[in-house]
Amino acid sequence: MKIISAAVKSVYILMPAAIVMAFLWAPPAQVLGDSSRIMYFHVPIAWVSILAFVVAGIVSILFLADRKGSFVMFDGIAYNSAVAGLVFTVLTVITGSIWARISWGVFWNWDPRETSIVIILLIYIAYFSIQGAMAHNDNRGRIGSAYLILAMITLPFFAFLVPRIYPSLHPDPIINADRTIFLDDRMRSTLAVAIASFTALYCYILHIMNRMMKLQNHIEETSHEAD
Amino acid sequence: MGNDVLRNLRKDFLVEFRSRFALNVSASFAAIVTIAISLTAGGVPFSPKVQAIVLWIVIFFSAMNGLSHIFVREEDQGTALFLRTAVNVDSVFVSKFIFNQAFMAVILAVVTPLYLFFLQVQVLHVAHFIFSVAAGGVSIAAATTILAAMVAKAGGKGSLFTIISFPILLPVLWISISSTSAALNAPSPTGGNLLFLLAFSGFISVISFLLFRFVWLED
Repeated sequence: MKIISAAVKSVYILMPAAIVMAFLWAPPAQVLGDSSRIMYFHVPIAWVSILAFVVAGIVSILFLADRKGSFVMFDGIAYNSAVAGLVFTVLTVITGSIWARISWGVFWNWDPRETSIVIILLIYIAYFSIQGAMAHNDNRGRIGSAYLILAMITLPFFAFLVPRIYPSLHPDPIINADRTIFLDDRMRSTLAVAIASFTALYCYILHIMNRMMKLQNHIEETSHEAD
Repeated sequence: MGNDVLRNLRKDFLVEFRSRFALNVSASFAAIVTIAISLTAGGVPFSPKVQAIVLWIVIFFSAMNGLSHIFVREEDQGTALFLRTAVNVDSVFVSKFIFNQAFMAVILAVVTPLYLFFLQVQVLHVAHFIFSVAAGGVSIAAATTILAAMVAKAGGKGSLFTIISFPILLPVLWISISSTSAALNAPSPTGGNLLFLLAFSGFISVISFLLFRFVWLED
């Protein structure tokens, strides 16, 4: 438990370090210049949004596979992870469109990666529609979890397959003059720290949301007992 | 299991044949939309890409009008409880899955000729076109079976089925449109898109089969 707590609290060190490294230490990219610094935020946020949805899916599997009642809170954890994932996905879309405006001159042009992230966003918005429709239904956890697993298995199609099947202007080919991805050591280490810091931020947010959920459940149980 | 599936299928077909509610709604919707598009276009033919897009929009929304009915009906009429207690969960899924595939085949058999006729579509590669439409239809029916069960459990509320199906089906629609468009005017369409659709159908069918018991059975 102490290890988890320490890992979660590492965000207090990692996030300022990532910000300082992104703006002051990492060199600008050859073609994109200083605007490439948005990469140190856009890429980690996109990574965390996928991670949050995968965590939601895996936790849902555990919830559905649980026969002994050991993981009764897991549908709530999956829900919280999906909420965090949705917020990070919206941030991915926002940072991506800012980067697109700088690089391509337009905020949005239905590039395969842009299309993929919007579809992922729609899939998880649909999850909240189901949850809303089943507000007082006893099967809400089971059906929500089944949907999250179904949504998770479609992720590889959008996150990995579609951008590789269809031609894309996404920065893979344009970040450097030789039209290949080339990040020098300082850029690589900045990106690694940024990814670690946003992962820690996601863990921190999820940790707080789960604690709030437990407290809320405890208050409800206590008030029922008092009645 | 085989007998259960056959019995269930027989019951579903009989009930549907008696009322023909889902079929009538879907076929009528398809006819109205196709005629409306043709009328507003004033006989001017669209480009092959637009023809493919409109065809799949008509197919998608026609299917959405009927594919959830198979589970919503069970919940509305109170027969879901009997099915849950009397019939093996896997048999229920397989029978509903087959029913939805058959239903989708009927929708495609109604929509596609109507569309070709009213919108003056010229098909360059007939076999590829038929396979594209069939593979897209199979994928839609495969993915929506479990989603229909979820919506039925949520009370079958209005457009919820379309809202949750649309994002899951977007890759299917995307690829089906590419494949259909290629069948209409590409010099030599390849089978890669068809392979993707069949792979997606197989993948989602297996996952749906595994997840169905958690959606169907109650605590």
